[in-house]
This record gives sequence, C-alpha cells and structure tokens, in this order.
Amino acid sequence: MRRSPRVGVWLPPLAPSIFLLGLFVAGPILWCFYASFTNSALSGIAARRPKFVGLDNFTTAFTSPDVAASLWLTVVFVVLSAVVGQNSLGMLLAVFLQHRGKLLRGIVGTVVVAAWVLPEVVAAFAIYAFLNAQGTLNEVLGWFGLSQNWLYTAPMMAVVLANIWRGTAFSMLVYQAALSEVPSDLVEAAQVDGAGPVRRFWHVVLPVIRRTVVTNLMLITLQTLGVFGLIYVLTAGGPDNKTRTLPLLMYEQAFKFGQIGYGTAIALVLLVLGAVFSLVYIRSLKAEV
Amino acid sequence: MRGPRLVVNLVLLAVAVLFVAPLLWLLTASFDTHGSLAAKVPGDFTLANFGQILNWEVGGRPLVNGLLISGGTAIIAVIVAVLAAYPLSRFQLRFRRPFLYTILFTTGLPVTAIMVPVYGLFVRLSLVDSLLGTTVFLAATALPMAIWMCKNFMDGIPVSLEEAAWVDGASSLQALRSIVLPLMAPGVAVVGIFTFITAWGNFFVPFVLLLDPDKMPASVGIFSFFGQNGLVAYGQLAAYSILYTTPVLALYLVVSRWLGGGFSMAGAVKA
Amino acid sequence: MRARTIAAGLAVAALTLPLAACGGGDSAGDARTIKIVYRNYSDFPQMDTFMKDVKKQFESANPGITAQLTPVSSLDSDYLAKVQLMQRSPSTAPDVLFEDSFNVNADAAAGYLLPIDDYLTKWSDWNSQFIPATKQAGKATDGKTYAVPMGTDTRGLWFNKDIFQKAGLPTDWQPKTWNDVLDAARKIKATQPGVQPMYLPLGKPAAEAMSMQTLEMLLYGTPTKDLYDEKAGKWVAPSKGFEDALGYVQTVMKENLAQTPAQAEDTQWAQTQMPLLMSQGKIGFMMDGGWYARYWNAGGVAPWPDWTKTLGTAKFPTQNGQAPGNVTLSGGWTLAVGASSGNPDASMKFIQTALNKENSAAIDVACSWLPVRDDVKADPRLAEKDPTVPFWSSLVSFTRYRPTLQEYPQVSNAMDVAGDSVVNGGDPAKAAAQFAQDVSKAVGADKVKTG
Repeated sequence: MRRSPRVGVWLPPLAPSIFLLGLFVAGPILWCFYASFTNSALSGIAARRPKFVGLDNFTTAFTSPDVAASLWLTVVFVVLSAVVGQNSLGMLLAVFLQHRGKLLRGIVGTVVVAAWVLPEVVAAFAIYAFLNAQGTLNEVLGWFGLSQNWLYTAPMMAVVLANIWRGTAFSMLVYQAALSEVPSDLVEAAQVDGAGPVRRFWHVVLPVIRRTVVTNLMLITLQTLGVFGLIYVLTAGGPDNKTRTLPLLMYEQAFKFGQIGYGTAIALVLLVLGAVFSLVYIRSLKAEV
Repeated sequence: MRGPRLVVNLVLLAVAVLFVAPLLWLLTASFDTHGSLAAKVPGDFTLANFGQILNWEVGGRPLVNGLLISGGTAIIAVIVAVLAAYPLSRFQLRFRRPFLYTILFTTGLPVTAIMVPVYGLFVRLSLVDSLLGTTVFLAATALPMAIWMCKNFMDGIPVSLEEAAWVDGASSLQALRSIVLPLMAPGVAVVGIFTFITAWGNFFVPFVLLLDPDKMPASVGIFSFFGQNGLVAYGQLAAYSILYTTPVLALYLVVSRWLGGGFSMAGAVKA
Repeated sequence: MRARTIAAGLAVAALTLPLAACGGGDSAGDARTIKIVYRNYSDFPQMDTFMKDVKKQFESANPGITAQLTPVSSLDSDYLAKVQLMQRSPSTAPDVLFEDSFNVNADAAAGYLLPIDDYLTKWSDWNSQFIPATKQAGKATDGKTYAVPMGTDTRGLWFNKDIFQKAGLPTDWQPKTWNDVLDAARKIKATQPGVQPMYLPLGKPAAEAMSMQTLEMLLYGTPTKDLYDEKAGKWVAPSKGFEDALGYVQTVMKENLAQTPAQAEDTQWAQTQMPLLMSQGKIGFMMDGGWYARYWNAGGVAPWPDWTKTLGTAKFPTQNGQAPGNVTLSGGWTLAVGASSGNPDASMKFIQTALNKENSAAIDVACSWLPVRDDVKADPRLAEKDPTVPFWSSLVSFTRYRPTLQEYPQVSNAMDVAGDSVVNGGDPAKAAAQFAQDVSKAVGADKVKTG
C-alpha cells in the first residue's frame, strides 16, 4: 500500500461516490435527523408548518411499549434468521457441498440461489401460499394430521423461516468461496494427525476463514434489519403485532398515519441498532488481530 | 466413509426439496385455470394465464422499464464503486476505515425511511418522473455495498502487479484499467449482479419517484395482480411472477457459467 | 489540508441541497395542462375508463387545455402516501385529485386543497341537485368546502335467505338489537355446521375497515353514541360504549360465530376468500358495505348470477333497539382541486364535467356507489344493475360520517389495536383502557372526555 502523497491522486476517483452518497444518502439521512426533532407530517396542519418539538419524538419512542416490543422483535428476527439461520445453514451447505459431485452441487446450489434472486414480492407471496392454511405445506402435513395455519400460530417462526429461505444463498456463496481458499495442505496435515472431520473444521478451517465469517455476519445483519416487504406481505406485522419489526412500525407511523417526525425517530433507532451490531462484530475482529 | 457420505447427501437433498417446495406453487398455479394457493397438478391445464400477460402493456413495457432501471443502476454502481475502491484499497488514507464503516451502517436503514426528503430533493432537482433520476438514486443507495465489495476484491489483487506498470510510467487510472480490472472481473460481475437483483425487486423507490404509469417497472406492475377488495388472480399472478423472475435467474445463470460454476464471493467480504 | 477542505465543501454542498428542497415555493407553472391524479384499481378498471371518458369530453369542450391523466396503480394506503408526497411540492401537486372523503380535513389543514365555495355557489347543479347531507363529505372543520362528492356508500347486513330458511329464521329478517343479530348467528351455527354464521371486518389486515365498519358501527349504536363530541370538540375515550362494542366482538369470537382469528389475521383472506365464500353459500350473513354487488355481478371477481334471489338486506340495529333504531356509516370518494393549481378555473371545470348528471350516473353505476345527486337517484340503470340500491340509498337519511379530523387516522389505529387484541383473546375492559390511553396520547389529554 502506498502513502497518498497528493489529493489530486486519491480524490478524483472517490469524487463520484462522495457526490452521489452525499446527495442521495447522507443528505436525506441528515434531513431525517432534523425531522426527528419536529412534528413534521404528511398531512394536516403540521405538514404546512412543522414545529420543532425537541426530544418529544424520542421520549415518546423510548417510553412507548410499541417501540420496545418492535425493537425486541427486530433483534429476535435478526438473530434467529440471519445470525443463526442464514449463517449456519449457509456454512453447512458450503461445507457439505465442498467435495460433492458436479450434479449435486449444481442442483442444490441453483435451488438455494433461486430463492435469493426472486424479487421480494414474488418470494413473499410464494412463501405466503406455501404456509397458508390452504397452502402446500398443509396439504402435505394434512396427511399426518399436522396441518395448521402457520402464519397465525407461529408468525415469528414463519417470517424467520421465510427470511432464512430467502437469504441463505448469500452466506452459502460467501462460504463456498472462502472454503476454496483454505490451503488444502493444512487440512491434510490435520487429517494425518488423526483429527476427525468435525475437529478439522473447528480447529483448522474455521480459524482461517474467521474474518470472512465476521464480515458476512455484519452484512447479513444489516440486510436483515431493513427487511420490510417480506414481512409486510406475509403477516403485515400481525397477528396482534407479533411480527411488527421496526421497519414495519416505521412505515406504519410515517406513511399510514403520516407522522414523518415520529417515523424518522424510529428509523434512527434502527440505524443505531445496526451500528451497535456492527460495532460488536468489528470489535470481535480487532480482538483477534 | 460410505455412511457419513450418504447422510450428507441425504441432508443436501432434503434441503434442496425444502428450498424448492415454496416455488412449486408458482409453476402449478400459472398453468391452472382455477389456480388456488396449494401446489397441485393443474386440474385444468391452460396457457391462458400467460396469454393474458404476454402483451406489451402488461408484460412487455414494465419488463423493459425494469431492465433499463436495474441495468442502469448496476452499471453506474459498478463504475462508481470500482473507481472509489481504488484509492481505498491502494492508498494509506486516514479516513478509510471510518468512511467504509459509516457508509456500511447506512445499509441497515430501510430506504422507505428516507423517501420523504428524497422526494423533496427530486422535486428541487426536477428529477421526479425521470427514469434516469430514479436509476441514479438506486445506484447511490447500492453504493455502500458495492464499494465495500469492490474494495475487498481489489485488496485480493497483489500491488506488485501494478508496480511494474508504475515503473513504466502508467498512471494509477491506467494501471487500474489495464491490470486490476481484468483480474477482478469476477468480483465486478458479482457486484453488478447483486446490485441488479436488489434494484429489480425494489417497489417503493420507483413507485414514489415516477409518475407516468408507462415508466413503471415490473416491480410496481406486479401489484396490479393483488386485488384490494377482490380476488387475487392467482393464475395470472403466478404467471407474471415467473415472467418477472426469468431475467434475474437468466442473468445469474449466464454469469455464473461464465465465471465457471461458483460465484466467487469470498473476496467481497474479507474485512 | 486542502484535501479535507475540498471534501468538506463537497459534502456540505451535497447535504444542504435536500434541506432546502422542502417547502419550495415555485408554483405549478403550466396553465394549459391540468394534471388529474386518481387511483387505478387493479381489480376495478372502471375508474380509469371513466376518467378517460371525462378527459375526452372536457378537452373537446375546452380547446387548448390538456387534461393529463396520472393514474396510480396501488393499494389504498400506498396511494395515500404517494399523493400526499406529490402534494408537498407545488411543482408535482395535482390540479385535480381523487380523494377519500376522510382525508379532506387533514389535506385542507395542510394547505394542499383549494377552497372551492366561490365556484360552487355559481354552479347551479350544486345548489339544486346535490343532496345536502352528502355535501358534508367535502366540507372541512373551517366551514369551507374543498371537495365535491362523487358518490357515497352505506353499511348494513347482507344475509343468505337459503341459510336463514334452514336455520328457521325469517327470510325478511330485520334484527332489532345486537342480541337479535347474535341469536341469528347462533341458530345458523346450531343447524348448519359447515357454514360460517357471520362475517364482519376484523383483524389487523382489515385495518380501517375494522374500526369504521365494525367498531364504529357498534359504538354509534350504544348510548355513548359518539367517538368525537363535536360540540365539546373532544374525543370520547374511555367510554362504556366502546367497551361494549369490544364485548360484542369478544362474544362473536368466543362463540366462534364469525371467521377464526387465524382468518382475521390473514393478510389476504378477506380479499381472496370472502366474496367467494359468500357466493358459495358458506357464510350466513355479513356486516359490510352495500357495494358488494359489483363483485357478484357478471364481470365481477366472484360472479354469482343468483345473488339477487338468494341475498337479502337488513339494517344494522342499535345495541338495545333504542332510538334511532338503526346505524349506518358513510364514506365515499370526492374530487378536489389542488391548492397550487396553475389553472383552478379549468380544474373546477373538469370536476363539473366529471360530476354532471350523466357522468355522475355513469360512475355511480360502474362502482355501485350511491348517488349524491337527486337527479341521478332516479336513474333506472342503478336499480337495474343492482336491485338493492334503493335499500342502501334509503339508509343515507340517518347515516353518520367518521369524524374526519386530522387526528382520526391515529384514533382509528388505536381502535384497531384494541379490536385486534380482543380478536386474539384479549380482555375488552383492558383493551378499552389501553385505547383511552392511546387516544389521549395521540390527541392530547385536554382533548378527551369520558363517555
């Protein structure tokens, strides 16, 4: 790596990014920050003359049982579907597929990736049809007398499974590539020493790809935090708000009730939650180095 | 070794079945006159569902619009991200880490959260109802991930290769184009596909930023199959879903074949 | 150092732009073109057909002026969000917009709509033909009128005569109290196990339909009578009436007289299954709007040639049969002029064309809306297409509107939360108490009273 001597060298290539990110991402986020201190609304008198309300929106948010409940649901959703589900299943698939035949690799890989490349609405509706009372899953479970309305009896499990189904491909692809870069002599040496497959994975492979694991966790966590359409089509946040994560609560407040100020305050809570998760991951990386 | 091998194969097949099961409904319902919510062999086989959507108004124009928007988004994001990744990967910049982490944090924010100020901004810039404006905005929101991935791919390419070029008097940009880019082509493809897929599925951004129904992409068009107070036309919805999914699936298959089977994502996510 | 200055400068330039972008004051320049925004229902293409027709008439009568149609294909909630965003900026604000009557107040307060009283006083049709009660739909709390109603609707009971006969119930059913309604459901349940006795909008996916069509229909029939006390200018919460309304829902759910909680919480069930189940004779009666004929008529989503023979209609009673005996609620859609319209005269002319006698009749017939003009009421096409129209029209005489204040969406949401919790087995008293808390938080503690 070179030290950068002149701004003329490093700035021009960065300029388009800085310009686009500043204009279309940072700017609007700063506006949200400002709006969260006002009673800005989509309609009504506050739309014409938004007033500065200080920390009111945040006070409301932090004392509201709705926000607390949604925050908790968001954490549950992210931990179960991304950190545990997508990450572990993706790793498992990558490891299991490593030395399989081309055919099996092709079939499993394509099927898992298909769920990932599906547009969100299509994926959501397909899963809705699958889990619905009259859906495919119940047709099958009905043979064993196990059918039930999953979206009602186990809504959080349903959206978690849906997100695992949809997002596992990303982790799988990441880990497939990472595993292919693990030096094979290391693994063979461990095998000669008599280590079984589990021990080899745990003590040889995992340490080598550790950084990839942590970074993958960070990316899928951030992606999962913002999941909206999938849950919206499946349960719309219900029943009884059991799946109303922060993005759904934010949408409800900002667009259904037009409370832009309050809605953006909730969005900022989400932003902070993402930063907290990321910092935990970054810290765990630093501790190692 | 036979036992474990069999178990592993069975597990893999079971996962494949579980992953494909929700998709069966799309196939069966699209060919069924009386499509319902369960996947079953069409009792009344028909091509009418496809017949009804395969015309310019319903199936054609929204798909073309979607290709323009998503393709444009992917191209802009890739070019801008590769440029940005170069100094971030090659120079010792003090703000590098804070910059990378800050832009990454923003990806946790759902885009719905910033649509109100973005709309105001688009009005000010006279970009409302502009396909190009919508495309550029989508590219900007895709940049954090794209820059992050490109930078990591570039880190994987040894600097020593470029040093020879510098000695020959090539500029950084020339070195980037002639040496680094060809080596990271698979990485660029990954970023492009990832961006394309994300933009292809985005409903809210084009819905808000475009006005003319003739400019709406397929991600908005698909909502015309969800009735508000009436029955969902399941058969047509399923058929449209298949039509709408085909371009992304085709893109993925073509690119992954070109890359020789597996996607190479590892480079993208090394910290 | 220079680097930082440049970077900072770029960032600041980029950041200040969007801040300045809101509240811009440039007007919607072109007076030769008026922009008309409306919702294009996917399952309901009549609105689009109607607007295209009106455009033709308007443009040939007003040469040189173009009516630019901007249909928005989406669900109701997304339509609202999009239109309100468009209205925020004068340059994209519509000249004429299709507006739900219950948003008129909030949009007028926001300064999005133009008061049109001056135009209306000069419009002879407005003075002679529009039914006075329905004019309320476009009137805001400041006393000015901002919108012209296109049609209205009323709510009551649809019942299946075949099922009633089998249950030993009269086929000219007219319940007098809530208990009469519940008893009919119980009888159906006892005699016909395969039939869902009743349907009423419930659950989170039903959203505003639950608060308006179920909870307010019930609440307005209790001695509490009101959700908003106009004289006092206060919201009525907590109230005995609201708790009783929740109690009714609890009874219905506990005795399994309506859809199951799982169906109520299903995001697609009410849209996908309900009109169909009704046409298949699998629901005894439903408490819903008078517009259902459009789904059962030929070309509807659940065509049912025999519906006129099989279905009866009845008014929904008050809690104990007290005066006025029955309850109904009305909503409806309107046309309004945008406040920043570059050509309000032409915009108003467009509305007058769209809602003249002939066009009013056309859209009311197409949408199964109830007419808001006397001369359209008599149009034979209405009853021809839907013989129940005279019945639903007769309810207009005692109809109630939602309190269309700007806080209403939040109050309605608080009602939905309370109703949803009872649907899922919650206690009505607790839910009512939570409702009162939520309302007071939303509108301010000084704007509520106990009832």
